[in-house]
Amino acid sequence: MQYMLLIYEDENANAAPQALQEVVAAHMRLAAEMREKGVMVAGDGLQPSETATTVRTTDAGQSLHDGPYAETREQLGGYYLIDVADLDAALAWAKQVPVPTGGGVEVRPLMTY
Amino acid sequence: MAGSDSRLAQAVREAGGRITTALAARFRDFDIAEEAFAFACAQAAEAKGHAPPRDYGAWLYAVALRRAYDLGRRARVRGAYRPPVPEPEATPEDLVLAAFEPIPDERLRLIFTCCHPALAVDARIALTLRTLFGVPVERLARAFLTTETAMIQRLTRAKRKIRESKIPFEVPEPAAWPERTQAVLGALEVAFAQAYEDAAGTDDAAGLAGETLRLSGLLAELMPGEPEVLGLAATIRLAEARRPARVDGVGRMTPLDQQDMSLWDARLIVEAVVLLRRAAALGRTGPHQILAAIHATHCARAETGRTDWSTIVSLYDSLALLRPHTATQVNRAVAIGAAISPDAGLAELARIKGMDGWLPFQAALAALSVRAGRHAQAATAYAAALAMNPAPAERLYLEEKWREAVSD
Repeated sequence: MQYMLLIYEDENANAAPQALQEVVAAHMRLAAEMREKGVMVAGDGLQPSETATTVRTTDAGQSLHDGPYAETREQLGGYYLIDVADLDAALAWAKQVPVPTGGGVEVRPLMTY
Repeated sequence: MAGSDSRLAQAVREAGGRITTALAARFRDFDIAEEAFAFACAQAAEAKGHAPPRDYGAWLYAVALRRAYDLGRRARVRGAYRPPVPEPEATPEDLVLAAFEPIPDERLRLIFTCCHPALAVDARIALTLRTLFGVPVERLARAFLTTETAMIQRLTRAKRKIRESKIPFEVPEPAAWPERTQAVLGALEVAFAQAYEDAAGTDDAAGLAGETLRLSGLLAELMPGEPEVLGLAATIRLAEARRPARVDGVGRMTPLDQQDMSLWDARLIVEAVVLLRRAAALGRTGPHQILAAIHATHCARAETGRTDWSTIVSLYDSLALLRPHTATQVNRAVAIGAAISPDAGLAELARIKGMDGWLPFQAALAALSVRAGRHAQAATAYAAALAMNPAPAERLYLEEKWREAVSD
């Protein structure tokens, strides 16, 4: 079963170069372990939300918005897509994702067709 | 054939939860389990007049199992469900053979699935009670102070999440136990409160009490290092020990401090005390252990001849710190009323705000008012309690007390 781990974090938390390096290294280690265990389907980090453009659809039609879909303190910063046996296994991986305090990892099963 | 009717009802009551649970664990789908069991019950009701099977429970399980395979196949055709187990060809011979297959006990597995921390807290408890004990939705709604519609939605959402997110049907590894114990205890506690609600111990409630007793004992066996599990198992035993004394000959509730102690089940009390000592030896106190100690202090009257109310008050003081619930505060007020004076109890009760619409509050207010000599206040409170749909045994008791208060 495939699960997406959506990483929400305060984008300013890893602003210091030192902190950023550490987080990147932690993600590299996690991704390597996921590949080694054969659970990794995909995984990427996203550019900061200030680079985001949102296409909004309303009754009046579509419009472009400079910024992320939701203006919240914590933003989607990246994701892992993993293939594991069940939710417990997915949650065990989610707990290993490095996130700063206040952040979170949302675990969502993919639809199967 | 009234005999076979009542035997069927008994089988549904006794084996229903086990059958539904076994099917849910096997097919990993609660809806299929419930529907298949309901089908088996309907089949059994239709088949009356024929010779009833020797073991109704096994018969219901065999019919439900076959129906579950059918339902699984249909759901798979719709693309909604992929059975995790290879599907055998069901033949009439299988049905006969299946009748000799014992119903597997999957209740522990299921309670951990239903109490998975990924589910909303209220949903965990409701789903556990519904699946393991077959508690009707209407009673669940009452216990959770919500509507039947809201309760059905809550259950549906939880079942859907278990299916769609693939929450496993397994007993968790020992490392994950502490995290998952808390939710299980909550479920057990509410199940027990349900069983305890009706003092008269009608068939339904008594059945639930038996399941709760057994399940709490099983959990205590499986988690001997979790003092709160032992504490809750002790509480359930101490309360159940008093069941035979809780109603008198005419079906009227008898308050704890007036119960005939010779009717208490000494074996259950001893079991509870042993559990509580084992819990204490682990050196980590908690609300369930304190609650058990309160029950044990009440039960000690069987040996000492008196109730040590001041110990009970100090235990409630500790409990109120760990668990500042209204029920704790009301019970603490009652204990203060007995330990110090009825007026002191009433003063404590007066500090609890906004609970006028809660039956135990009015019952406590009434009892303390009687002892304080405030008969008019007592009569009003008894009338208020009676208007809140008490269980039959409690109704009889409250009616009598109300009449006394009015005539005084």
